[in-house]
Amino acid sequence: MSAVYARRAIINVVALALSGLATLIGLVFLVWILWVTAQNGLGALKLTLFTKITAYADQGGLSNAIVGSLIMDLMALLICAPIGVLAGTYLAEYASSTRLGSSIRFLNDILLSAPSIVLGLFVYVIVVIPCTELTNGRITFSGFAGSVALALIGLPVIVRTTDEMLQLVPGTLREAALSLGIPQWKLTMQVLMRAAFSGILTGVLLALARLAGETAPLLFTAFGNNFMTAHPLDKMASMPVTIYQYTNDPNPALHAIAWAGALLITLFVLALSLLTRIMFSRKKVSYE
Amino acid sequence: MNDLAAATAAPLTDAASPAKIKVRDVHFYYNGFHALKGIDMDIPEKQVTAIIGPSGCGKSTLLRIFNRIYAIYPKMEAKGSIELDGENILDPKFSMNRLRTKVGMVFQKPVPFPMTIFENVAYGIRHHERLSRADMEIRVEQALRSAALWDEVKDKLKQSALGLSGGQQQRLCIARGIALRPEVLLLDEPTSALDPIATGRIEQLVEELKHEYTIVIVTHNMQQAARVSDLTAFMYMGDLIEFDNTEKIFTKPGKKQTEDYITGRFG
Repeated sequence: MSAVYARRAIINVVALALSGLATLIGLVFLVWILWVTAQNGLGALKLTLFTKITAYADQGGLSNAIVGSLIMDLMALLICAPIGVLAGTYLAEYASSTRLGSSIRFLNDILLSAPSIVLGLFVYVIVVIPCTELTNGRITFSGFAGSVALALIGLPVIVRTTDEMLQLVPGTLREAALSLGIPQWKLTMQVLMRAAFSGILTGVLLALARLAGETAPLLFTAFGNNFMTAHPLDKMASMPVTIYQYTNDPNPALHAIAWAGALLITLFVLALSLLTRIMFSRKKVSYE
Repeated sequence: MNDLAAATAAPLTDAASPAKIKVRDVHFYYNGFHALKGIDMDIPEKQVTAIIGPSGCGKSTLLRIFNRIYAIYPKMEAKGSIELDGENILDPKFSMNRLRTKVGMVFQKPVPFPMTIFENVAYGIRHHERLSRADMEIRVEQALRSAALWDEVKDKLKQSALGLSGGQQQRLCIARGIALRPEVLLLDEPTSALDPIATGRIEQLVEELKHEYTIVIVTHNMQQAARVSDLTAFMYMGDLIEFDNTEKIFTKPGKKQTEDYITGRFG
């Protein structure tokens, strides 16, 4: 007997050591990335970053890119959040065990892992080209097209989390409401949505964090702009595309600005993640 | 509240009260499995009828037909007839809305809605009736008093119901059910997730509520059936084996299977 226990104790120690090591490796890289970003970005973090536009190049800042990114991220969220939440609700509440439901879930997972450059090209074909043709070239690339491409990044994230969060709501809650004669739509909108609210909101914020860092979908849609604009039908600058362009430039002063931009995006995503955590821990509904 | 006082004052009737629910040759199938095999029983008005039996005997299934809650899941089918005051509730023409205001249900695990205590009770009422604020407050208070919860929650009606203890949550669920003024109350193992003290309170409550409602309780716990019910039905593998006065079932059962079960020889 004791030989068996000794063997198990050894296996336990080995398994613990291996998984601990794996965690450590993952963490090392994460901290390293943050460290390098902070190290390079903090030095270049200046007030002019927020006051000057990219047209001044190494004498300028990122203000138009910051504004452009905020506008496009927000518009993207306005497009994908309602569609995503409703689609996720449909999957969880109306099509949970049907063949249609599982097909949609499968397609959604494909969209979730689709290369973002493909989504950019797709929006180029369905938004940018028609706009160009319809307006004789007056409107070509636009912030709006960029938002549509970003919305496609966020959409499957929201669909999936909404679906999963609603499925976590115990079935007995549904039975309880239905046994009071409450109709399905009221049950969904007033009871289940409330029970799953913090989870669904978490999904929306995660989607925002995800799409805020995307470059590829914006390359052929929003294109970029060296000047300040808030008009959704203009070509629009964004943080990721500007960082991409600056890192491709031989000028080291632009590299420094790119690092600062990278740090800003990282901080933005970090803030979103923290907000998500706070929301989730504060408003947690437990039925256990 | 006057009704309750009047009913309490009235002498307790015996098993002679008229049948509220008449179950006739009820069969139930899910995914092709024959779960109930021709059940006949008369559930008397304003009495407590307990349904006991080993796991999988079909007792919860039978209860869940009484308000047709089974119908929210696919591949479920009930045959036969269940008459509530002479009308067949299995008839598709019987309005689901009407059925569910007449027949309330409380489940195994307490499931308060993610709302305030007040809203938990008011929510169902609001769907069926339009009441002024003052009337609604009276109705909610009545329901909470009937469920013996008022004194514990009257100062925190605006707080989330999820902060209550398990036993309080279950009484809130009962209050939510009786707030619609149903005629029948279905209790599906209402104390199986509760501690003995909370269980005692619920049982005491059942004792009080039977003066106003026809109660059907499914329970795993034979002592509970013996304590709270007037009549007991023993089910086994989809059949109703015996249905009689609780005292008779537990002292001199008519069937061997019933005797074996209540003496703990199986199940």
